[in-house]
Amino acid sequence: MKKSIITTVKTVLLACLMTAFNSCSDFLDREPDRIFDDEQVFADPALIQSVLANFYGRVMWGQHINDSYQYTILDEAGKSDGGPDNIQDYSNTLWRVYDYELIRNINQFLEGLRASSALEEGDKLAYEGEARFLRAWVYFNMCRGMGGMPIVGDEVFDYEVGMDVTALQYPRSTEAGLYDYIISECDAIAEFLSDQPTINAARANRWAALMLKARAAIYAGSLANYNNKMPSPIRTAGGEVGIPAELTEGYYQTALTTAEDIINNSPYQLNMTQPGNLERNFYEALSVKVSNSEVIWARDHIYPGAGQQTGFTRVNIPGSHAEDIDRAYAGPILNLVEAFEYTDDRDGTIHIRDVNGDYIFYDNLEDAFANKDARLGGSVIVPGALFKGEPVILQAGQKIWNNGSWQTRTSQPGDEDDEGRLITSTNGPNNSNEQFINKTGFFFRKFLDEAQGASTRGRNSEMWFPRLRFAEALMIASEAALELGQQSVALDYLNQIRERAGIQPLESMTLDDIIRERRVEFAFEDHRYWDLKRWRRAHIVWNGVQNNPTATQYALFPYLVVAPGTPNDGKYVFDRRPFSNSPFPRFFQLRNYYNFIDLAWQNANPRIVLNPFQ
Amino acid sequence: MIMKKIWIVLLPLALMAGGCGFDNYDEPQSKLFGRVTYNGEALGVRGTGEAVQLQLYQDGYELRNPIPVYVAQDGTFEATLFDGEYKLVTRDNNGPWVNDRDTTVVDLRGTTNVDIEVTPYFTLSDVSLALNGNALSASFQIDQVVEDGAVDYAMILVSKTAFVDDVVYIVREDLSDPEAGTTITQSVDLSGNGDFNAGAPLFARVGVRPVGKDQAIYSQVVKLR
Repeated sequence: MKKSIITTVKTVLLACLMTAFNSCSDFLDREPDRIFDDEQVFADPALIQSVLANFYGRVMWGQHINDSYQYTILDEAGKSDGGPDNIQDYSNTLWRVYDYELIRNINQFLEGLRASSALEEGDKLAYEGEARFLRAWVYFNMCRGMGGMPIVGDEVFDYEVGMDVTALQYPRSTEAGLYDYIISECDAIAEFLSDQPTINAARANRWAALMLKARAAIYAGSLANYNNKMPSPIRTAGGEVGIPAELTEGYYQTALTTAEDIINNSPYQLNMTQPGNLERNFYEALSVKVSNSEVIWARDHIYPGAGQQTGFTRVNIPGSHAEDIDRAYAGPILNLVEAFEYTDDRDGTIHIRDVNGDYIFYDNLEDAFANKDARLGGSVIVPGALFKGEPVILQAGQKIWNNGSWQTRTSQPGDEDDEGRLITSTNGPNNSNEQFINKTGFFFRKFLDEAQGASTRGRNSEMWFPRLRFAEALMIASEAALELGQQSVALDYLNQIRERAGIQPLESMTLDDIIRERRVEFAFEDHRYWDLKRWRRAHIVWNGVQNNPTATQYALFPYLVVAPGTPNDGKYVFDRRPFSNSPFPRFFQLRNYYNFIDLAWQNANPRIVLNPFQ
Repeated sequence: MIMKKIWIVLLPLALMAGGCGFDNYDEPQSKLFGRVTYNGEALGVRGTGEAVQLQLYQDGYELRNPIPVYVAQDGTFEATLFDGEYKLVTRDNNGPWVNDRDTTVVDLRGTTNVDIEVTPYFTLSDVSLALNGNALSASFQIDQVVEDGAVDYAMILVSKTAFVDDVVYIVREDLSDPEAGTTITQSVDLSGNGDFNAGAPLFARVGVRPVGKDQAIYSQVVKLR
């Protein structure tokens, strides 16, 4: 008995050892069927293209339509979904990009591509141009957040255990040095790339490279200019942050020349598909891909294909138009709406009270927004505006005239009074912690897809997200010319933008006109934050002071007037109020001008110096 | 016999499963207390939102991350640490004082007190804050310390908690161009404030923001009622 147990133990042990250390056939020695090695990839044009497609899918940062919350933290929109958002400060790592993995992958791609014999020389150069454009775009996104970061060139680093890593520890570039690198890369690849528009603007062409160059130059120029005009400029001893003032003019000149090249020689123009309806025209310039003549480079979305659609329309659509359970996640705020001018009045304040402080009565909801900049209707759904041919009713409640004063009556969304008149609309707005009802008084129009099924969970939207477009070339040219003292040139470009929007041309201008024009032209396009940063205005506009009109978010609540027997019965009035879901003013502090450097990066590479305020 | 052999198998297993104790040690017990001072007086700063920080470095380790030390609104700070030699430094460009990254070496054994001497752009003196009916009467003087320092603005702040600063307040009055060296008096009307009318406890302090700095300097908090 004893013996047999020992034998059993021994047998099992033996079996284990055999399985662990022996391999009798080459059954497991197989070529992987899901991993291609470099040799296979760069022998096949289709595979080369799919590697590049992967890179295009990895460059979505900052504000964009795949993350509606990011629109609500500045002064463009507010979050209606659920209860208040108590943010006060901005994170030290807000929209920080540090993607040397992608840069390394692009460099691996370049190495393989240059050695490949599967492509014609011209095609190889075109692919090289696109890859280097994307690499420059990565550096640009890092630079505007953190300042100068290490430039690794075309190097593909390899690491083996035990090697001396000090050779891999690159110091940070200066801020000016990194913008120079981006500019020189764009210059170098411009000739490699096609000058023709690409399908849905999804791939970069020569004009995208030049747009990036112009944008890098105007960023660098304004940083050199305005940082040094601060009472205590933000800089590091080694120039990793802070561009010397004497470089200002050179950068502005580069920006102007490059932008004018795009304006005069590119096949793009300000979109003018609907000259009879400028609101519609502006919507189509941004949100319709078919026969679009303005967008130069965009993140395209398409159906079908897993993960290749965007949920922006689904989560933000007005409840009255929703095709699924989701709706009304966020909406533009009154601050943005009032930044749009009237066609004949630069003060864009919505007229809700007369000089005596009494309500102004409007026959229709949308009348309060008559004669506004056409871009308002193209960017924002105002109360009563049409979407897909149906009006979007935004009504917070009724104002009832009772013994010489106004009483406010609200209800559950969609309820009517005894006379069958609507109290609170199903769309809102209201003050509550509920989901799926608007709280700002406005809905997004820009990037809201009109296609059937675009707001369903099963399908989602094919809406693209434009990153570079012709209007930006005009705005860069105008700003650069203004800073270089060429007022009439600057006015000419600015007025082209204003004419398309249907508002009066300007006869003289300052930087404040540029700031305002860019705010309304590029709303929701990931410009506002970076613009205010490079002009060093962010800490002034978002100064964290309660009731400061630029730091506090406001909503506009429309009401139906119930005053039987008076001429105002059935008309509409409006109340302006602090946006209930955003109780604290926006507070951008000096430390927010540059993202903090992660200390883990410094631990891995002691030559990385920290940013100011860190 | 079999039992003995089983132990031969179990012994390595027991060694693998056990073995804690050598690399564990007790939590830190030593206390570092300190104040941020000018001429021996603690300076009032913003105490919320981790706004004002000092940094502790300790040499001789592989990683170089500083330990953040948060300064409270009365200018004090404390940290619980292991015994050892530390380097204490203000955070770059942080705080309402002249940026100075000189190191203070702290030799921590048990409990240690340390004062960090800084040069604020201004100090506040003769601060008096009192309720006067429906108004707050404030009077204070801004004293210039750094010759080329300029005042961005001064502020009078009222809060319903003991935390009072440029973010946490219920009433705020900004004085855009206060003159240094003279007594400034200002009355702040509180009659429209809901918390005031509801009889909530009230606290107040005044602050002055130097141009180009990320923080304001404050007087000590006064309880109004």
